[in-house]
Amino acid sequence: MQRPVSSLPLSQAVRLKLGSAGFQLTADLLDFKPDKLSKETGLSEEEAVEVLKAVKGGGGGGGSGDISASLTALELLQKEEELRSIVTFSSQLDECLGGGIPVGKITEVCGVPGIGKTQLCLQLAVDVQVPQCFGGVEGQVMFIDTVGSFLLQRVTDIAAAAVRHCSLLAEDDEQRAAMETFTVETILSNIFLVRCHDYVELLAELHLLPDFLSQHPKIRLLVIDSVAFPFRLLFDELSQRTRLLNGVGQQLITMAINHNIAVVITNQMTTRIRDGQSHIVPALGECWGHAPTIRLLLQWEGSRRLATIFKSPCHVETMVQYQITPEGFRDADQSEMAHSKRPRMDTDQSAAEPKDTSS
Amino acid sequence: MVTTCASPAAVQLMSVKDVVCASAPDLQRLTGLSNSDVQQLITAAAAVCRRHPPITAQQLQHGVSGAQLRLGCPVLDRLLRGGLPVGGITELAGESGTGKTQVGLQLSLSVQYPAEHGGLGAGALYVCTEDSFPIKRLHQLIGEQVCLRSDVPADLVSSLRFSDHVYIEHTADLDSLLVCLTRRARLLLTRGLVRLIVVDSVAALFRTEFQADDWLERNRQLLTFSSMLHHLSQEFSTPVLCINQVTDVFSQSHNSMGPSLSTVSPALGLAWANQVMVRLMMSRLQGTVVRGDQSSALRRLEVVFAPHLARDGQNAAVWREGLRGVESWTSNRK
Repeated sequence: MQRPVSSLPLSQAVRLKLGSAGFQLTADLLDFKPDKLSKETGLSEEEAVEVLKAVKGGGGGGGSGDISASLTALELLQKEEELRSIVTFSSQLDECLGGGIPVGKITEVCGVPGIGKTQLCLQLAVDVQVPQCFGGVEGQVMFIDTVGSFLLQRVTDIAAAAVRHCSLLAEDDEQRAAMETFTVETILSNIFLVRCHDYVELLAELHLLPDFLSQHPKIRLLVIDSVAFPFRLLFDELSQRTRLLNGVGQQLITMAINHNIAVVITNQMTTRIRDGQSHIVPALGECWGHAPTIRLLLQWEGSRRLATIFKSPCHVETMVQYQITPEGFRDADQSEMAHSKRPRMDTDQSAAEPKDTSS
Repeated sequence: MVTTCASPAAVQLMSVKDVVCASAPDLQRLTGLSNSDVQQLITAAAAVCRRHPPITAQQLQHGVSGAQLRLGCPVLDRLLRGGLPVGGITELAGESGTGKTQVGLQLSLSVQYPAEHGGLGAGALYVCTEDSFPIKRLHQLIGEQVCLRSDVPADLVSSLRFSDHVYIEHTADLDSLLVCLTRRARLLLTRGLVRLIVVDSVAALFRTEFQADDWLERNRQLLTFSSMLHHLSQEFSTPVLCINQVTDVFSQSHNSMGPSLSTVSPALGLAWANQVMVRLMMSRLQGTVVRGDQSSALRRLEVVFAPHLARDGQNAAVWREGLRGVESWTSNRK
């Protein structure tokens, strides 16, 4: 391995010490034991162990997970297809998103107050628990509430409507058996709720989240409602805010990929004056716009509610109409949507080798 | 708590908040600790900052939060599905003369009932920013409480010393409003003397003090004020009612904030609307309602948005005993 030491994921101080001791390439470090290395370079024992772990981890997908084995694009495609999306119960929106909110990515929902962002989040918190035999993900959800809008009355309504919907669809024994465990009580017991009152508590919660996700491997969805609310108070220290938000974005995408969860965050809108005209744009600035993979904009047009996918690497920019009913987030035309009963079979991918489609 | 030994000087300079907000490489540089030690430090600091560990929604069901403050009229409480939620800002906007202050006064009394009768067992802090407090009307409402709250035993109603528990503050400008909230409100809440804050009205201070160009400064002050209210509300499980004025809407541009076809919208714009959890609007309708020897102009209380309420409205009238919903009314058009 002729890899330079400076490319290893180590802190600046450690790299400097290695450099000044004369270690330029990782090949130089291979034969060293930790105590000998620490004597040569002046690093502590623990740091020396870390350095050697990083060096050895380069060739095999082990170590602390910093350097993982590379995947081919085909393997990535297969991995993605095995992951189910989380339905929103609005079939039009699900269709535009290619099945629903994707797992392993960050989806941001922006909109003016009262448009339905929290409603969509609550709907997803229930939908993620739909049993697999109904085409759902059957996972748990972690809900971080910074606004105080997680009201039990509403969650119970949405949960009860989802249970009713699924029991109407239950056809065979497997589905009927699944309905035994898909009740309002179990739905509520699978939603983990944390209330954060300012940005420090939110950051602390995000630091503790990876451990929590490891302890609860069934969590498939993380909702933060809303990310904007605590950070908008940092109007005097915009550079600090940008730095903190960048960190948040990185933490979220790392968690989404490592723990196989979908991350849904809500954002507020703010006014920008451009060319003498005022426009309403998503808050938190342009830099934040790069963090989420997919951005949904919810807006009013007259008396209609519209949802637009305005940033996505894999979807067309489309606009659909939706409504908020007592049952939750639904299509505009009808109050109950025709939900597909079996998981979708992927028909538009042509791969050289036969795939194992989930059934 | 943190078992590793970092350079003491560096650690003393940092608060727990700084540790949580800093990035791992920065901390490594500052403290000279190794990567795994820094992670331990961050985790320990984060655990300190966290107020409660995650609970499930099912556990929330059996918990205390989720109480509501009833208005006192069963028809209107049904519209609100129980009443004002504790822990969040409720806004009541409308033109002048529609009865917004009536609602504030009525809530200042209904909060004093015990929990089983829809109150929160404590008093109210009423902050006036424009007109002086309508003390006569409050006394009239107190006198008529037995009539309004027929669901409560009369001896309980007469045993409550209503006027003793309504704390009135007059704040003429922004600074005194912020001082009032930081000191007086916090003190009253900590002592358990109040479980409701009414600000009548928010628009008054923010509209007069700033010129059109100062909107950046105005937004800043608005955010400071609303975040203070929000924190008090969350920390003490206290409903906050903010009464707001309205502005005229000239054109329904594509950037409209609501589907409303009305000609007025709540003042203070998007920056304020983002801070509000429940938005209610009060308007005057054509027609009057007659009951016995009293007559009242017809009003309408609308839910504009709320996380747990449908967009709906309810007709209402203002009587001697307060605001009451009108289910079926016989109009007496003049």
